[in-house]
Amino acid sequence: MDWRRFGFIALIISVLFGVVVLIGHVQISPVIIITSMLSTTIAVATPLTLGALCGLYCERAGVVNIGIEGMMLAAAFFGWLASIYMNTVFGMAPMPSLIGGVAFAILTGGLLGLLHSVLSVTFKVDQIIGGTVINILAIGITGFLNRQLFFEKGSIFGGNVPHAPGVLPRIQIPYLADMPVVGRIFDQQPITWAAILLVLITHYVLFYTRWGLRTRAVGEHPRAADTVGINVIRMRYANVILGGMLAGLGGAYFTLESVPSFEPLMTNGRGFISLAAMIFGNWTPFGAWSAALVFGAAQALQINLQFFRELIPPQWAFLQISYVVGLAPYLLTMIILTGIIGKNIPPAADGQPYEK
Amino acid sequence: MKKLYVVIAVLLVAAMLIPACAPKAPDCTKADVFCVGMVTDVGKIDDKSFNQSTWEGVKLAGTELGAHVLYIETTDSKDYAKNISTFADAGYDVIVTVGFALGEASAAAAVAYPNVYFIGVDQFQAWQYDDDATNDIANLAGLVFPEDQAGFLVGALAAQMTKTGKLGGVFGTDAVPPVWRFGEGYRAGAQYINPNIEIFIVYHSDVGFDKTFTDPEWGATTANSMIDKGADVIFGGGGKTGNGAVIAAAQRGVYAIGVDTDQYYTLPEAASRLLSSALKLLTPGTFDLIKLAKEGKFPSGNYLGKGGYAPYHDVDAEVPAAVKAKMEEINKALLDGSLQTGVSPVKP
Repeated sequence: MDWRRFGFIALIISVLFGVVVLIGHVQISPVIIITSMLSTTIAVATPLTLGALCGLYCERAGVVNIGIEGMMLAAAFFGWLASIYMNTVFGMAPMPSLIGGVAFAILTGGLLGLLHSVLSVTFKVDQIIGGTVINILAIGITGFLNRQLFFEKGSIFGGNVPHAPGVLPRIQIPYLADMPVVGRIFDQQPITWAAILLVLITHYVLFYTRWGLRTRAVGEHPRAADTVGINVIRMRYANVILGGMLAGLGGAYFTLESVPSFEPLMTNGRGFISLAAMIFGNWTPFGAWSAALVFGAAQALQINLQFFRELIPPQWAFLQISYVVGLAPYLLTMIILTGIIGKNIPPAADGQPYEK
Repeated sequence: MKKLYVVIAVLLVAAMLIPACAPKAPDCTKADVFCVGMVTDVGKIDDKSFNQSTWEGVKLAGTELGAHVLYIETTDSKDYAKNISTFADAGYDVIVTVGFALGEASAAAAVAYPNVYFIGVDQFQAWQYDDDATNDIANLAGLVFPEDQAGFLVGALAAQMTKTGKLGGVFGTDAVPPVWRFGEGYRAGAQYINPNIEIFIVYHSDVGFDKTFTDPEWGATTANSMIDKGADVIFGGGGKTGNGAVIAAAQRGVYAIGVDTDQYYTLPEAASRLLSSALKLLTPGTFDLIKLAKEGKFPSGNYLGKGGYAPYHDVDAEVPAAVKAKMEEINKALLDGSLQTGVSPVKP
């Protein structure tokens, strides 16, 4: 375990929380501030965590995926669209339509994963270009369909932009969620819980199963893996598609869990942030998750500082500009990349197409 | 040959009869025929929001003033100008355009058709502070609303309904004056009931204009954070950003307050916890302006309509009679001017 890295991450999160407590403690008790920030942090880290896991499966298998952003955006749109169709056109009840929407989002992510693997594994297209293609494709297709379906003449919803039938309901962890004040942390929505579970599962799969060993082998030294009879192409395909499905679940967070509506470019760069989280976490599931929490904490800081606008001393007033606070994740990533906190070791064959 | 004449004669008679059977459309070009046309923003006439409320006002002019009324549904924002000139070319006397988005097209049409009165609903005429008003287009009036009063009303309501003594408000950017007035009116109304009330007001000011009204996810996250800190009434004002806050509040089971029109009908997923909405009273405002146009007293520049608050709907039983009475009292005082919100029109 890379304690230096986790210590650094814990330190950053404490600093981010500490700033708000320092400013806001005269108005609201520190316990409430910390609980509420923690709760926000965990929720907003969800798409970052899932995006980072997507990157993890892909890169551990040796395929660089910078198309996470596009996968999430497309999944957000098609999952949302599917749930609207199921609810209004096919007359399904809200709950099954929402679950159907999530399934569709995962499917969308998986299909884009398939596209990425066809491009980068079979046709050996430069993997950066392949990811860029997915990003541009997603922005174009969601923007175009959003317009065609909802704003154009004779479109089925004719100008009235519909909402998905509600959002996924909250799930409370028994007992823990009943605790006063801090119970709030254990009251989250399903995709958030799923993301945390998937971190645990991914850790187990990557480091304690045959599948994980083969995945890592394919990403580190595909030729050696091939000589012992591992089908490199098939492993890469499977992992990239699996990663795409995780990104798809992350996309569903935007339109089915957070709010029931879609906006063009709604993912707002979070696919790229999750890529940074993966690197920040040194290509490990727990590292990626804790890095996602750091970025989530930065977002929570941004939101919480606004509550205490009047209390911020004038010389620190520039902090309330979210552009400045919003820089925090990127600055941290740059610090991490310098290697001060510990060496970052990407999979050795990351980004290299396998030539038999 | 004779047969052919008979056929032609029959056809001619039929051709004359067909228009006679259809209801006779009035000739709007005639001076004594008063015609009012309305162009919707992209969306249906029955959108339960801006288009519908404005159309109610236009219809009222039809029954009260004997006007011939008609609407065109805009299906594409590229068609604004075309739809407006369809009415203008047909000799309509008054053309109502609905929504901020039609502002430019309305101003251009008002210049092109100086003999037609234009009513721009929710279209702020930017030259209001120009003292001599020479820049106003004489035949164009922007119907604007006292957002501070509407905000004040729901603020007072929220302050009376909160159990924790904490309120939240999530808004678009405060650089847009109506948004600022909603937000500060809300604060003023809450403090009018309880000067010591704790109130979280957050504007989504730190992002670009392209994002500030279309960031529902930020609105939801912010509202959730307020609820975590004990707020039990959330007012969401600012397009989709505000809608995100309203939906999040309803999902968490606290009271939500909508904006502009009665959002009970536009956000069904929040309806069960929707306490009220801060209203722009579009129907009477539209009707008043049409009436002024008919009487030849058409005001140019900005015309101030009225603000209000929506019915309690599903939570009606939870609102005590004393609160309802107090709300009516405040509304009356705001309308007759005996109570002032004290909110500056733009952010100082």
